[in-house]
Amino acid sequence: MNGYAHMAVLTIIVISAFYAVWFRDLLSSVISLAVFSLLLSLEFFILQAPDVAIAEAAIGAGLSTAIYIIALRACKALRKPNGGEGR
Amino acid sequence: MKRRVLFLVAVLVVVGVFWGALSRIHPFGDIGRAPMDDYYLENAQQERSVNNVVTSIVFDYRGFDTLGEAAVLFTAVCSVLALFRKGSEGK
Amino acid sequence: MNPLSVVVRTICDIFAWFMGIFGVYIIIHGHLTPGGGFQGGAVVATMAAFLLVAYGGKKVLSFVRPGFYSGMETAGLLLFITAGFLGMGTTFFYNFLAGRGGLFGAVVPIGPNSGILNSAGTISVMNIAVGLEVIGGLSLILIYMFKGIRLFDDHAGRSESGHDR
Repeated sequence: MNGYAHMAVLTIIVISAFYAVWFRDLLSSVISLAVFSLLLSLEFFILQAPDVAIAEAAIGAGLSTAIYIIALRACKALRKPNGGEGR
Repeated sequence: MKRRVLFLVAVLVVVGVFWGALSRIHPFGDIGRAPMDDYYLENAQQERSVNNVVTSIVFDYRGFDTLGEAAVLFTAVCSVLALFRKGSEGK
Repeated sequence: MNPLSVVVRTICDIFAWFMGIFGVYIIIHGHLTPGGGFQGGAVVATMAAFLLVAYGGKKVLSFVRPGFYSGMETAGLLLFITAGFLGMGTTFFYNFLAGRGGLFGAVVPIGPNSGILNSAGTISVMNIAVGLEVIGGLSLILIYMFKGIRLFDDHAGRSESGHDR
């Protein structure tokens, strides 16, 4: 039972990591990275390390995704003709 | 030619040192040879009166490492503030 | 900058306060359940990230000042170092409160049990200190990234809404 859970979670981790590189749209890629991090925290929980699982779910799936979205908005604002600094 | 011989000697030394280190490493998944783990699991609840052994290791037995981690986080925040402060003052 | 769509705002309204309560629970119960100061602080900082992403910086920064988070981070680090130095009679980081009665000094029974909240000595104090520091630090990073990229100005009526495509 535990081995099948390992197999399923690790397979979806590899698929989500592949799509994080494959997508041309940057927002989709960031969301795929969030899915990767969430499944990694599930894998830590299966391996009986709940401390690392909580830290990974909070930082990997929450904070780093928010930071990436902020950076994407900054890139979009800088790319406008009148907004930003134009550099 | 001399450089190539030196390169080969350096490669042999590095490979030998790593081989010697990896042959004596703790086997993966083997929990039988860890005396410090047994000490923590047996004595943490009596010595420090705490139920969560992981927390007792992180904050008590290895508290100095946690101080270093807190200092690393403080340094990261200081560097982010130094990087982004100019943009907030400019308007 | 306009806030995101109604769906994102509703979900963040509901989940942000669950995140805050759950993070404070993880910090306070750090010596009984899995987790601790760092994990709980990261969960509480996720609440600030939710509100910033969903509502935009102008609305959030109208009731939260960065000086508050800065003071929280400094107070957490100072409390941690003070709790380390107070055990200096024996060694650095000595647990001088454990098992003596009084504040955080209850004696736990040996063996598997459900635990007492008023126990573990300086470990509880250090959990709260590290929790304060991580809340302040991670929230401060997010807030200063929002302020630093100058997204608070409306760019001549071109403010966006919806997705970031």
